[in-house]
Amino acid sequence: MDPMLQVQDLSVHYKTRRGFVRALEELRLDAIQGETVGVVGETGSGKSTLGKAILGILPAGTQVDGKILFRGRDLTQLSNQMYRRLRGEEIALIFQDPMTRLNPLMTIMDHFVEEIRDHESVSADEARRRAREALVSMGIHESRIKNYPHEFSGGMRQRIMIALAIVLKPSLLIADEPTTSLDVIVESQILGILQDLKRAYSMSLLLITHNLGIVAEVCDRVAVLYAGKLVELGPVRDIFRKPLHPYTQGLLSSIIHLETKELHSIEGSPPNMIAPPSGCRFHPRCPYAQSICVERLPPLVEFEPGHFAACHFGDKFL
Amino acid sequence: MAQPELGDEILRLDNLNVHFPVKMPFVQRLLQREKAVVHAVDGVSFSIHSGEILGLVGESGCGKTTVGKASVRLLNPTSGRIFFAGQDISKIGGRSLRTLRRKMQIIFQDPHASLNPAMAIGRAIGHPLWIHGSEFGIQNLSSTVFRERVQQRVLSTMREVGLTPEEQLYDKFPGDLSGGQKQRAVIARALILEPDLLVVDEGVSMLDMSIRAKVLELMLDLKRQHGLTYLFITHDLATAKFICDRLAIMYLGRIVEIGPARDIYADPKHPYTKALLQVVPIPDPDKRKEKVLPRGEVPDAVHPPAGCRFHPRCPAVLPSCGWEGRDFVDFLDEHLSDPKRAGDDELVLGPIENWRTNGLVASLEAKPLNIEEAVERVKAVLAEAPIAMAQAIESVSTHKRTVIIHFRPPNELRQTQVGDRIVECLLYQ
Ligand SMILES: Nc1ncnc2c1ncn2[C@@H]1O[C@H](COP(=O)(O)OP(=O)(O)OP(=O)(O)O)[C@@H](O)[C@H]1O
Ligand SMILES: Nc1ncnc2c1ncn2[C@@H]1O[C@H](COP(=O)(O)OP(=O)(O)O)[C@@H](O)[C@H]1O
Ligand code: SF4
Ligand code: SF4
Ligand SMILES: [Mg+2]
Ligand SMILES: [Mg+2]
Repeated sequence: MDPMLQVQDLSVHYKTRRGFVRALEELRLDAIQGETVGVVGETGSGKSTLGKAILGILPAGTQVDGKILFRGRDLTQLSNQMYRRLRGEEIALIFQDPMTRLNPLMTIMDHFVEEIRDHESVSADEARRRAREALVSMGIHESRIKNYPHEFSGGMRQRIMIALAIVLKPSLLIADEPTTSLDVIVESQILGILQDLKRAYSMSLLLITHNLGIVAEVCDRVAVLYAGKLVELGPVRDIFRKPLHPYTQGLLSSIIHLETKELHSIEGSPPNMIAPPSGCRFHPRCPYAQSICVERLPPLVEFEPGHFAACHFGDKFL
Repeated sequence: MAQPELGDEILRLDNLNVHFPVKMPFVQRLLQREKAVVHAVDGVSFSIHSGEILGLVGESGCGKTTVGKASVRLLNPTSGRIFFAGQDISKIGGRSLRTLRRKMQIIFQDPHASLNPAMAIGRAIGHPLWIHGSEFGIQNLSSTVFRERVQQRVLSTMREVGLTPEEQLYDKFPGDLSGGQKQRAVIARALILEPDLLVVDEGVSMLDMSIRAKVLELMLDLKRQHGLTYLFITHDLATAKFICDRLAIMYLGRIVEIGPARDIYADPKHPYTKALLQVVPIPDPDKRKEKVLPRGEVPDAVHPPAGCRFHPRCPAVLPSCGWEGRDFVDFLDEHLSDPKRAGDDELVLGPIENWRTNGLVASLEAKPLNIEEAVERVKAVLAEAPIAMAQAIESVSTHKRTVIIHFRPPNELRQTQVGDRIVECLLYQ
């Protein structure tokens, strides 16, 4: 199947007073219809930047190179007006904190009516009917539709956000840490809802998270970012069974779960993104680093069908 | 198995209650019959012994932070008593409280928010020494001798928590440090006064996985080497498993299960504990499984549910667990909002706002049509309700034009000893 989304050599450099922050560097990634791709990495690795780049909501002045093809169309070349149409209709975003997206002065119903009528010329009645349907499908009682955002609990607000994101039936949903601010049980409920939705509408889901446990539970494929570089990409089973990049290996062994017998961590801390390390960006923290790692950038190599890694010694871990 | 030797009791909470007034407009306050309060902590008792790590686990808003803050007297208890090393500290204040603060320290979730961005790390860590200087018998705080002693203490504490190279980091500002380093600085600042008790409130939750382990190891080292005692607050059972000796599971202001950590993980008793364990993600794509999750979210602590507070969400709920009028109305609301199930029930039983509840009773003044019709509809709705709720109903009766649903009173819930554990659940009574 043709990928719905193809990110090709995407670089994003934020302009700051101290210099350019190289938040993403030549990233390649694609997603086919109906699949869930997990994007993982430590804080600052560029996960949210990727989401924002796809949605075209990076701050003005940010330098963007490369292509983002969505159903064959390059989003980086889109006019603002076209982008506005696309957002919501074709691609939607769910944020970590729903309050940043919901207007405290508007009822839930108004949010929906506005979102729908921004994109489609339907009657207010029709918009309300669809709003009701979307909310009820998320388990929000009809009687609460005229309430304001603050009158809902955190989990309900997140469900409202999801309902709002899917009301126009987009084909790609980007969820940036959608459950991080939620309770563990509610988190599990929301992940279940996202799974059901994906199946019902065969949407693609880009799930941005630092929680690898969640990735194991819901994703089909995983992209691992380190300091703005894609270091590994592959089917979720391959990544968890046989991680090829030392950073992925470190991440996986640092997960604390119920069977954990011994704690592991990755030595050192993430690099300065204005002047990242030469060669392989992971070399200052890598237990296997050799001199070639300092000198040369490891290319992304397909070591097994569909399983890519950017490490000079990736074949050693096969 | 031989019981490990228990150290002296460091902290004991005895039926601790902390209630907060609810902020509301003046007029509403006048109209209110009772004063509305948040039952943040409602009858919590436990003790922690020297060198022990007690984990306090539960969802957000259940009262963990409030217990932590009250334990170190950053909050005043509404009632109940707090003992620190045998001394009743529930009511002390002023100078005695300040002396006490040296011995009990608290660390919060967000290391970024805990450090003043304009204060260099070394100074921040040494800060408590300046505040408590007089208690070390030092009169002249500006003396070079004192300043030197503080600096030496700071440097050695930084070494101890792995904030190295300490001399280099001493003059750095929080903005120059990574998350893990910042949390180490916060720990160093808490340790510098050599406390006996450390309350860690979600102290590693904000840290990246890759550095979380290091901070946890540090805490375990400090326990082994200095016999430091912890109250470790978290919502993550996997992290708690690794570091806690005993666990207290908290739900909506109450401890529902407490006992040796190992036993609880091997065989959780309380349905809420089981639910929490079930949602810990398993990092293995081949072990995906369907979960039976509790319904909904934690209810509002202003009006906690009757009987067992977990009953509206409990997958194992019994008819005697605390069903009450509003449970029926909540269910009816759900029923009516699904047009497929509701049919024209709304015409007879709606709108939901017309229902009144009072404790065990729910009632509706029926529309002038037919009261019998309303009773029939209620019974039909109940046939679809959770079986435990339906069985808890004593009667559906009428009085003039009002339909009245009566629930049976719940069984009294008691804390029950189950092996080494105390569980608060009717299944074990
Ligand atoms: N508006 C901005 N201006 C300058 N730098 C930025 C901006 N937004 C992000 N950055 C930087 O870009 C890098 C990547 O940030 P990004 O938010 O994508 O990380 P992330 O992987 O989402 O992290 P987290 O897990 O903390 O959400 C970081 O170094 C960050 O400080
Ligand atoms: N200062 C306060 N005033 C009013 N309500 C409070 C205050 N602090 C906490 N609460 C309420 O008390 C309950 C318990 O809160 P908290 O102890 O912070 O829970 P946790 O730490 O488990 O998330 C919540 O309902 C919370 O909203
Ligand atoms: S390229 Fe070298 S430094 Fe980078 S991950 Fe591989 S071994 Fe480590
Ligand atoms: S008493 Fe036990 S069975 Fe009953 S609701 Fe509470 S937890 Fe569930
Ligand atoms: Mg982010
Ligand atoms: Mg808290």
